Amino acid sequence: MGREQRQQSGGQPQTILMPAVLDRHWVEQNGAAGKRVIADAVFDFSKTEKIDSAALGYIRSLDRLCKQTGRKLVLTNITREHLSALTAWAAQDPSADSKEKKNLFVGTADAFMIFFRQATEALSVLVEMLYWGTIGVLRKQDFKRGALGEQMYQLGFKAVGIVSLLSFLIGIVLALQTAMQLRTYGAGIFLAPLIGLTMVREMGPLLTAIILAGRTGSATTAEIATMGVSEEIDALRTMGINPVQFVVVPKFWAISLTMPLLSIIATAAGIFGGYCIAIGYLDLAPSLFISELSKHIGFDDFWAGFVKSVIFSWLIIWIGAYYGLRVRGGAEAVGKETTESVVTGIFIIIIADAIFSFLL
Amino acid sequence: MLNGREPVITIKNLVAKYGERTILNDISTAFFPSEIKVILGTSGCGKSTLLKSIVGLLKPFAGSVRIFGTEIQDQDDQETVDVLKKTGVLFQNGALLGSITVGENVALPLQMHTELSDPVIREIVRMKLSQVDLPHAIDLYPSELSGGMRKRAALARALALDPPLLFCDEPSAGLDPVTSAGLDELLLRIREVLGISVIVVTHELMSIDRIADALLFLHMGKLLYDGPYADARALREGPIFNFFERTDGHLSGIGDSGCNLNVETVR
Repeated sequence: MGREQRQQSGGQPQTILMPAVLDRHWVEQNGAAGKRVIADAVFDFSKTEKIDSAALGYIRSLDRLCKQTGRKLVLTNITREHLSALTAWAAQDPSADSKEKKNLFVGTADAFMIFFRQATEALSVLVEMLYWGTIGVLRKQDFKRGALGEQMYQLGFKAVGIVSLLSFLIGIVLALQTAMQLRTYGAGIFLAPLIGLTMVREMGPLLTAIILAGRTGSATTAEIATMGVSEEIDALRTMGINPVQFVVVPKFWAISLTMPLLSIIATAAGIFGGYCIAIGYLDLAPSLFISELSKHIGFDDFWAGFVKSVIFSWLIIWIGAYYGLRVRGGAEAVGKETTESVVTGIFIIIIADAIFSFLL
Repeated sequence: MLNGREPVITIKNLVAKYGERTILNDISTAFFPSEIKVILGTSGCGKSTLLKSIVGLLKPFAGSVRIFGTEIQDQDDQETVDVLKKTGVLFQNGALLGSITVGENVALPLQMHTELSDPVIREIVRMKLSQVDLPHAIDLYPSELSGGMRKRAALARALALDPPLLFCDEPSAGLDPVTSAGLDELLLRIREVLGISVIVVTHELMSIDRIADALLFLHMGKLLYDGPYADARALREGPIFNFFERTDGHLSGIGDSGCNLNVETVR
């Protein structure tokens, strides 16, 4: 603080004479010294004519520091205008309380509580969706006319092309890789049941679910989140319209009905890919491929694929709706929740598929 | 009761919180029929929170809100839905559903809450849009409208079920003075023609001067004034006077800076 600082002895507070122009340059040069003052201090503003925002911020931060460390900072000979500028527009630092260091136990407990709260919210969305989509209909029917048909078209029909094409290509790749190995051992005949079972039980529902998690899940989150940030959800509530029934339930029913159909289409396209390889690469007779296929695939396999596709459809719409409804903020939050929705959706679908592999 | 009139909304000892943060503290007031009451205060004083608490978007932490004698509970409760049908809300940004046309937006409450046939609903929609001077916007999407038009369309939707009670959250926000004055005139005309009560949250002084019958002044979550607007305007001291005089709130005592410095002498 240089020559403007007058030290006083005997435990008296240091009196610091502030300059005529108390501005950013002064703070840059002398600010660090002020923070190191360990005793009580008196700032004398008798010469000070001008104060800028940097100096105001500096004095207030020093005042906060003194209060935290039990020291005293006294301002003297300050003009009324400067004092007004110092005390106006101040707010308590909202982050001050939250900045206190947490020990490991408190940190873990906090993390657990956040997880528990999120899990409860997610379950609550699932219960609401299932309730308002089924027995809740007896209590209220807040559906827009034609919403189910429109959603089936959007979520189901429009996905037919991409689902069939990708499944066909995966079927070809899978069959080709397998056929090369099988031909080595002269076991090309097993390609039909191998591709058939894989597609019916596993790849058909899983591929469809992953495509729809990316397509429908993201669209659902983005739509609901945008409605949330633009107060459309609140507007529905104030009109006495249940937003879950109005927005989520038509999607829930649309995906529940179309996903098994899409799954069947995906399975058929994948098997057709395998058929092409069997005919073109392994020179199998078409009738032999079909007879081997029908011999090894039973009702249980179709049932397993069907159950998976229905459960996956519920997971997709549940996760999409949950991330959409929890959005807080603006456009950036919508993007963030949409990304999280797709990532979580695919992750949960793969976990569910792994569980189903043991159960079905 | 005011001049023998029963209040349409009664609020008793309302406390509203967001998490641990108290936004409204012990608010008690009443709103009367055919009255335009303005909820006024500086930004962050709890105006919109009060509105949200009244229409049931925010559950009171303590106290009660009764609309037409019914306490707003679960919004799926039939009694609450019946009350909500008697209210219309004009949101700050309109909050029209972006995926459907303006006409479909206005028709939505009618489709959801009435058994009217499509031709009748279509006619009501045309009528409501004419009331707000937007007859040509029926087949347009909200994104194709200007800010002022969107608000008027939202007003038409809020009035679709002929509610006796209308809430407006910052109707003038983001509008130019001419459009804002037009919207105020519209609110006055609607009140005159339909005899409805209007509760307006705003801090636009010109707008308040034009429309307010009564005033409710909030400051930092507390009720500072609740009474006739003319009486509030006649005040010659205190924070409400300062607000109207547009003096700096912090210097005049409205602002509580939260910064308590140790000051020895002031020059």
